[in-house]
Amino acid sequence: MSATSAPTPPIVDIRHVSKSFGALKALNNVSMSMSLGEKVVIIGPSGSGKSTLLRSINKLETVDSGTIIVDGYDINAPTTDINRLRMELGMVFQSFNLFPHKTVLENLTLAPIKLKGMSKAEADDIGIKLLDKVGIREKAHVYPSKLSGGQQQRVAIARALAMSPKIMLFDEPTSALDPEMIGEVLDVMVTLAKEGMTMAVVTHEMGFAREVADRVVFMDHGGIIEEGTPEHFFQNPEHERTKLFLSQIL
Amino acid sequence: MSETRIIDVGEGAAIPSKNDWGLFNAWGISITGAVGVILYLYLFESTPYKRIAHYVADGIIITFEVTFMSIICACCIGLVVGLGRVSKNKAINLVASTYVEVIRGIPLLVQLFYIYYALGRFLNVHDLTAAVIAMSVCYGAYMGEVFRAGITAIDKGQTEAARSLGFNTKQTMFLVILPQAWRTILPPVGNEFIALLKDTSLVSILAVSDLLRRGREFSSETFLYFETYTMVALIYLVITLLLSKGVSIMEARLSHYVRH
Ligand SMILES: Nc1ncnc2c1ncn2[C@@H]1O[C@H](COP(=O)(O)OP(=O)(O)O)[C@@H](O)[C@H]1O
Ligand SMILES: [Mg+2]
Repeated sequence: MSATSAPTPPIVDIRHVSKSFGALKALNNVSMSMSLGEKVVIIGPSGSGKSTLLRSINKLETVDSGTIIVDGYDINAPTTDINRLRMELGMVFQSFNLFPHKTVLENLTLAPIKLKGMSKAEADDIGIKLLDKVGIREKAHVYPSKLSGGQQQRVAIARALAMSPKIMLFDEPTSALDPEMIGEVLDVMVTLAKEGMTMAVVTHEMGFAREVADRVVFMDHGGIIEEGTPEHFFQNPEHERTKLFLSQIL
Repeated sequence: MSETRIIDVGEGAAIPSKNDWGLFNAWGISITGAVGVILYLYLFESTPYKRIAHYVADGIIITFEVTFMSIICACCIGLVVGLGRVSKNKAINLVASTYVEVIRGIPLLVQLFYIYYALGRFLNVHDLTAAVIAMSVCYGAYMGEVFRAGITAIDKGQTEAARSLGFNTKQTMFLVILPQAWRTILPPVGNEFIALLKDTSLVSILAVSDLLRRGREFSSETFLYFETYTMVALIYLVITLLLSKGVSIMEARLSHYVRH
């Protein structure tokens, strides 16, 4: 938020990362870091590598070169237990990816019970509180297929939060939603941001970026073209490509 | 999201769908007809048919035994093979794939003879056990393909969601993927069950006294070939139809979380 805060070691530190899919360079020598509590919004045209960057933070994509340090651990080091580290990294997908064979509440409690050894009673308790928070407590015992897209995405956010992650990664969380449902999901994300969650959000919702972002990162062709505060971005972007992109999207 | 994907359905008796109703469908007509004819032959055309029915009765038990045990073993083998076929471990994958290729390339009857006599030569196993092992080894490969198809039909977003929560590959498979895959797997697996049941008639060639072999024994003593095989065919039909009904009931139970 301000440049005056004491320098803390970054909780996510991405250094010179590259990743190719065959001949296609999805990430080209990208460096970016996030400090605790920071909200970074990543924007850019489709195919620019935003998802690949976000997904490489929790190693859903393995980078070809460069290092990624999360919470002090090099995620590609053989000594790092990636499954353990992923518990610190909540992820929300464009397509929700709720578990259709589990009720809403079970979606929230599965990981805490199996991975943290939490009792069912305790997990249920936390789960219900989280459903309250995202505003769908009454749906606790229904199956995800009975929910609207907006409701499913709120459950997906709650599911990630149930593991009490340090960082939340959002990959276009509202892009698959009908327009009238985008607001309810963004509201949950804004609340989360105000509570101080560290967030990396890929989105095309510029209103959200303005309201929440400490920093906006613009990507194109697998690289970071420009980054800065929302004010900088929306008032006087430097690069031509940024200007062009913003003129198309705003 | 959770649409049911159609995966390869093999030949076999028709599994009744929930849209079929009452007796006025292929299943209803077949079962009523078969049971009706058996009862009629048994009660009114009593002379040879009653004797046939009594003679082949223990064969029915053996057929059931072979079917049941082979289904259990084939499912276990199938699960392991299916998991092997989707494994990222190259060696495991290659072993599983080779197994499937080899088994699918040899006629079941030849396999039955081969495994039966190989087991008989090198190990001293019971006839029935040998037959079950042979059936299981063969059907395990087919079942493995069905499991593989069912597993790969699950959206990869499910795996990603599970992994991102911190589940390892094994937990992801057993907590997230397989519980969903059952639903897609069940219809084709049901078809395999039915095909397996019918193929157990092949073990009659070995020294296993199943339904067909008992029929053959009876007819070669009495020369009542037509009557015997009429009875045997009707009994197979009834068993097969009942099994297919059982599969469809299980299928309906498992689909409870799907939006209709
Ligand atoms: N699994 C993959 N296999 C092949 N190409 C991929 C894969 N994932 C992404 N790509 C390609 O990498 C580039 C960057 O993709 P992505 O990170 O998804 O972009 P964005 O999220 O910005 O739209 C795109 O050209 C995309 O087609
Ligand atoms: Mg993307």
